[in-house]
Amino acid sequence: MNQPKPWSTWQIWAARIAFLAVFFYLWELAANTKFIDPILIGRPTGIVKFMWEEVFVTHSLLEDFYYSMGGTVMAFTFGSVAGILVGMLFVTSPTTDAIFSPILTALNAMPRIALAPLFIIWFGLGLGSKVAVGFSLTFFIVLTSTVAGGRGVNPDHVTLARTLGASESQIFRKFVLPSAVPVIFNGLRLGLVFSLLGVIGAEIIAAEHGLGQNLSVLAASFKTNGVFALIFLLALIGVGISWGMTALENRLLRWR
Amino acid sequence: MNIAVQAASAPADAEPMSGAPPGSVVLDKVSVVFGELVAVKEFSLRVKPGEFVSIVGPSGCGKTTLLNFMAGLLPDGVGRGTMLVNGKAPVTGSHDIAYMLARDALAPWRTALGNAELGTEIRGVPAEARRKRALDLLDKVGLKGFENHYPKALSQGMRQRVALARTFSLDAPILLMDEPFGALDAQTKLQLEDVLLSLWQREKRTVVFITHDLSEAVSMSDRVIVMSARPGRIIADVPIDLGRPRSVRALQKDHAYHELYSQVWTKLEEGLSQ
Repeated sequence: MNQPKPWSTWQIWAARIAFLAVFFYLWELAANTKFIDPILIGRPTGIVKFMWEEVFVTHSLLEDFYYSMGGTVMAFTFGSVAGILVGMLFVTSPTTDAIFSPILTALNAMPRIALAPLFIIWFGLGLGSKVAVGFSLTFFIVLTSTVAGGRGVNPDHVTLARTLGASESQIFRKFVLPSAVPVIFNGLRLGLVFSLLGVIGAEIIAAEHGLGQNLSVLAASFKTNGVFALIFLLALIGVGISWGMTALENRLLRWR
Repeated sequence: MNIAVQAASAPADAEPMSGAPPGSVVLDKVSVVFGELVAVKEFSLRVKPGEFVSIVGPSGCGKTTLLNFMAGLLPDGVGRGTMLVNGKAPVTGSHDIAYMLARDALAPWRTALGNAELGTEIRGVPAEARRKRALDLLDKVGLKGFENHYPKALSQGMRQRVALARTFSLDAPILLMDEPFGALDAQTKLQLEDVLLSLWQREKRTVVFITHDLSEAVSMSDRVIVMSARPGRIIADVPIDLGRPRSVRALQKDHAYHELYSQVWTKLEEGLSQ
């Protein structure tokens, strides 16, 4: 059997763009001919127009964007630092792990978005409650991956370290920690996405600013073009986060 | 890298044992018992300073257990009898020994140079001195130009060369090696055996070498100890007078070597059939 020749990169890009062009053209056509009510699906041209005005004319989308990103970055920073620290504590102290692990598992099983109303009572409508929801998601994800990474140390490394006379802290710094980094990194990647999820989710429930708040207002007033614009923006942010983390990983973990 | 200096700086509270000179390993009626299982029974052996001794035996005969005992890796209470390593009871992490495992145990996040420095780094050798030593040894094991390569970019043989450099970087009078070339293919193994011999011949440190490969034991050692199946005891102690310096690869065509090999093999067979 002759293997078909694989497509070159530019051919693949051309096909991809062609597909998207056809897709958006049909969408526009369906809305214009009222084949599907534009109230339900909006219009690609309308979405672009909305974006343009909100970003370059009124700047109101930018402000929401900064609020949401600020919340995400804060939730991610606090959540992952706390997750790594507690995870390392669990790795180094099996007793602590034995006591607290089931409690944390139970907490983690709770649908975190259900806590959002409580956090809003505690921390108000501002950033605090959004950061709290994002934190509650990120913390557990990073904690779990840190514990998994810390346990994954190669037994040969431990034997070697012991024959070399390494102290507990040397074993930790020179073997446990570096071998845990790739696994922790996977947790961080997921944690960042979940920080965004937590912040946007909490904004949808109740907020003064933010993309989530904007989204819920637009949806409530049937501004479908605006809703789609925000959804595309959020998707782009997600892709950006993923891309950034991969770039960072390739830089930091060159040895893999 | 002076063994005499090492011994002189040994702590004064270490018992001055007559008959246990610095760099020696002395075992007198050593037994190792794990619960019901007798792994080694009344094993006695004296390894002289600077001597290259191999211990061969079938798998499960307790040879690795003996080595772990010397390295202080056994849990408390399982070892009995007298064991003196460099004149002292074995301690985990003793600076008197350098230990090499069957698998290279390289840290994948460190370069070849970083790995060669790992042992000396943990033992607190100043940065400049340990770097110099690691670079020198990487050169000696034939890895000049590969200093900044990560282990993933090295072949198995090269990785074990890095492990050799890491082991020989240590300033320890006694080297304990647990089948270090067991995982290598035949050709690479011969090369690495010669690398090990060339490193050893420069400094003549004491080597206790565990292997199940009789040809490896005969070609490298001053003495070959043959162990029985469990519980391990000595069934032959054969001096190998093949002269030094030697090349393992050249020995492959040497008559005296094959003669000795078949002698030891006969003893091994006799011992195993008893």
